[in-house]
Amino acid sequence: MSGSDDESPVAASAGGPAHERRAPRTAVAPLTLIRQVLTTREGSIVVITVALTVYFSLSLSVFFTTSNFENLLPYFAPYAMLAAGEVFLMINGEIDLSIGGCYLFAPLMFYEFHGGGIPLIPCVILALIVCMGIGVFNGFVTAVLGVNSFITTLGTLFTLEGLTLIVSHAEQLEMPGAQVTTNSTGNHITSFASAFGAGTYSELFWALGIVLVMQVALTRTRWGLHTIAVGSNRIAAAEAGVKVRAVLIRNFVVCSTLAGFVGILEAVRSNSITPDPGAANSVLLDAIAAAVIGGTLLAGGSGTVVGAMIGALFLGVLQDGLAIKGVNADYLDFYLGVAILVAMLINRYVGRVRRRSGLG
Amino acid sequence: MCEGGQALAEDTLPGEVIVAPVSDADDVLRVEHIAKSFGPVTALRDVSLHLKKGEVLGLLGDNGAGKSTLIKTICGFQKQDSGAMWLKGEPYEPRSVDHARSLGVDVVYQDLALIDELSVYQNMFLCREERVARLPFLDRRSMKKEARAALDEIGIHLPRLDVPVARLSGGQRQSIAVARGVYSDADILLLDEPLAAMGAKEGAMILELIARLKKEGKLSMIMILHNYVHVLESCDRVNMIVDGVITFDKPAAETSLEELTEIVVDEYRRARAAANAEEVAEAAEAAVLDPE
Ligand SMILES: Nc1ncnc2c1ncn2[C@@H]1O[C@H](COP(=O)(O)OP(=O)(O)OP(=O)(O)O)[C@@H](O)[C@H]1O
Ligand SMILES: [Mg+2]
Repeated sequence: MSGSDDESPVAASAGGPAHERRAPRTAVAPLTLIRQVLTTREGSIVVITVALTVYFSLSLSVFFTTSNFENLLPYFAPYAMLAAGEVFLMINGEIDLSIGGCYLFAPLMFYEFHGGGIPLIPCVILALIVCMGIGVFNGFVTAVLGVNSFITTLGTLFTLEGLTLIVSHAEQLEMPGAQVTTNSTGNHITSFASAFGAGTYSELFWALGIVLVMQVALTRTRWGLHTIAVGSNRIAAAEAGVKVRAVLIRNFVVCSTLAGFVGILEAVRSNSITPDPGAANSVLLDAIAAAVIGGTLLAGGSGTVVGAMIGALFLGVLQDGLAIKGVNADYLDFYLGVAILVAMLINRYVGRVRRRSGLG
Repeated sequence: MCEGGQALAEDTLPGEVIVAPVSDADDVLRVEHIAKSFGPVTALRDVSLHLKKGEVLGLLGDNGAGKSTLIKTICGFQKQDSGAMWLKGEPYEPRSVDHARSLGVDVVYQDLALIDELSVYQNMFLCREERVARLPFLDRRSMKKEARAALDEIGIHLPRLDVPVARLSGGQRQSIAVARGVYSDADILLLDEPLAAMGAKEGAMILELIARLKKEGKLSMIMILHNYVHVLESCDRVNMIVDGVITFDKPAAETSLEELTEIVVDEYRRARAAANAEEVAEAAEAAVLDPE
């Protein structure tokens, strides 16, 4: 089960009579604790992220400061939210590439609705409803018509990116409701903007809230249980009565909707709608990387939303740290790629230790 | 072979007897002229059977005879091509496994339908999850407690119920699947080879459980078994299915190990003879087409 599931101590399932294990307690306890942390699904990426943070903090005096933390947030929060939805689909054994498309398309829809005279908040809701429709489409084509989700969502991704370019004429637009006004007391943003992405900690709060809700949904609700069941053994799940198609469609809808929401937050934060498919594609890949690094299997059957958030944090710390270190921009992707591979290998090794020690 | 169940009278195989349904007013389940094909494969040609309240019906048949297909049709997992079913006198058309379950029909599948990644208690309550009050949150403690009680009652002792079922032995997995079916408030339970992976002791435990349930009289069961001794021991009535039709229907008390064995051996001989005849015919045909 998921790493956040309670009562899964290593010691309890290690076997052997209780008194034998109790004897050398003082010597074993710290080691057991370390093993326990390391062998939860999120444990390894937590340790790797902490180690990376310590390294940057020791080697860069400006790293461990509030202002740098604020700089780091945009490298982290959006990916944590995108990955939260993606994790559900990856647990299903599916993938959604169209999150890049929704991310790009939703702010543009918001812009168009606003241009039609609709107030800001209803525009957000309408744009998200469009994203839900995209999710329903992805889910229907995948779950009902049986097209592989990689292909389905690749198609949706390009379609949405193309539509964005067509509708916006490939021109950058100003995001409604996000304008900054300057007077004698400094810069001011609207309360809409500060709530939806432009406030310093706005995205962080959204990310923490969404991750919390999604993790609880995954581990404590029927929806999460059925998501795991569908990903682990689709036939058995159907035989037991799980509504496989409904579960899949719902997860596609949630994933698209979250992606659209993140797109809107980011457009508000940067006060612009930038129809750049290249950037959207890299956002998409980073979100999937965060989920995978965080311990979610592409093959399905198991995963963790909290892990994906920490995976996103790892990517954020790495990018931010390398940038401050003044690493040549040409090297950035190279280091990023190597770091992802190393993190994955460590994850894999720890996963094997976990299975051998008898944990899920 | 044949399409649908209508034209069967002329379509029986040589020497084949199809048993007509003998149904009474107190039947809890009636199945009439069910046919089911998977593409070119006809799994059920024309199956009719009935089940009385409190009865245990043993279903025998060779591998591939269509037993599991029949079970999966009754439990709502798949829909028949033709034919009809009645549940307690009402037309019975299950839309899904969940729907059938809500009407009181539950099933233990041959493949067990367990989810490896989920724990013992999560599997036992899959699709019947208990929730905290009216909230969407699962009531894990209550489910664990009930799962523990159910397994204890059968006599299965697992140290922990929160380990993934992937970690359990074949027999343990099967007993979890059986426990899930038995403790589901169903009044008709379909058991597809519930003893397949069991050792002698666990098998005896399950048969004892079934005898106990039978004595209580609330549950009616259709049970697929391969061991004739078990069938005669724990079933009230025996049906045999051969190539998608029911060819034998007798109370267990009126048949014997010898008779059942005889029938199967006969069946085998007839199939061999038919195959040989076909071969001969084919060879003759080939000879006619190609005189060289
Ligand atoms: N989903 C399916 N798709 C295609 N063919 C199927 C399917 N299910 C069953 N069949 C075919 O239907 C026939 C009957 O299968 P079924 O599983 O009902 O047999 P059975 O009597 O349960 O056999 P066994 O004793 O081996 O479990 C077989 O020829 C099988 O290949
Ligand atoms: Mg079978």
